[in-house]
Amino acid sequence: MATTTAAITLTSADLLTDALSLSATNTLYKAGSTVGLDQTTGMARVHLTATTVVDIFPQLIEASIAFENKSSWVYICNKSEDETEFITVKICEQVIGKLYAGDFLWMPWSMRESANANNHHGDITVAPSVDTGMSIEFTCINEGTEYPTENLATT
Amino acid sequence: MATITATLAVSSDITDYGIAINKSMTLTKAGTLNGLERTTGVQRVYLTDTKHIDLAKGGLANTNLADMTVTGATAAKVYIKYLEDDTSKFIRVGLGNEADGTTATANNGDGTHFEIGRLYGNEWMIIPWNGASNVGDITVQPSVATAADMAIVEYIVFFE
Repeated sequence: MATTTAAITLTSADLLTDALSLSATNTLYKAGSTVGLDQTTGMARVHLTATTVVDIFPQLIEASIAFENKSSWVYICNKSEDETEFITVKICEQVIGKLYAGDFLWMPWSMRESANANNHHGDITVAPSVDTGMSIEFTCINEGTEYPTENLATT
Repeated sequence: MATITATLAVSSDITDYGIAINKSMTLTKAGTLNGLERTTGVQRVYLTDTKHIDLAKGGLANTNLADMTVTGATAAKVYIKYLEDDTSKFIRVGLGNEADGTTATANNGDGTHFEIGRLYGNEWMIIPWNGASNVGDITVQPSVATAADMAIVEYIVFFE
């Protein structure tokens, strides 16, 4: 069983009158258990040269919602060094927020199917603010990966 | 101008090569190098039933946070932690609106709430927050909560 730990520290010496210091650590488990997550997409780095919205984890959700309600953790980081550049992060077409240069997020992902009439899956997408090239790193640590079966189509 | 730093460290032996993330970010206003300067402070809410609640309301109207004007054009970061030792219990974290407390909706044209993910006992998350009025409230719903066994959620919002 793999052991994955995540830790966060939030600090500020001058936001408030007194210093802010907040820390948390946890081990990543399969849903509702104390068994460690055992699968990952690995860390990916992409260089996007268009402002098109792209699905960054197509292998985890395409044609299947078998992951629904399993435990998955997502890390996304905007590697741009230009503070005006950002990526818009969406889940199932709804904007979570924008990651500006150097920003990251760390969040759980339910992979729920939308209740929208279009039944879109809970894809996590990113869209760069500029088409001049932005690098993004991301990974998913999860359980229950299912891959598409072999495609034997001739065309 | 305040300087707020968030540092993430993830380590894993999930592959032979392992995974190691060590990343710090300074929380800045949208499109600038100026630090975020407002915060809710660390909030702790005690939930006594399994209804959805709005943890943080976005948009300009009906905010539950004084002077909070987080919109899609501004920057905000949200940290949420579920304080629970039992790892079988969880809270659903979503985007939407708590509506009547029984159902959660989002003003996204079809009235549906959307679940981002689940925080099981002792888990936490940090995300940017759009906060726009059409989809932006951050909602939570505990899987288990009673007056005798409350679900406790901590959060802090940094915004401009």
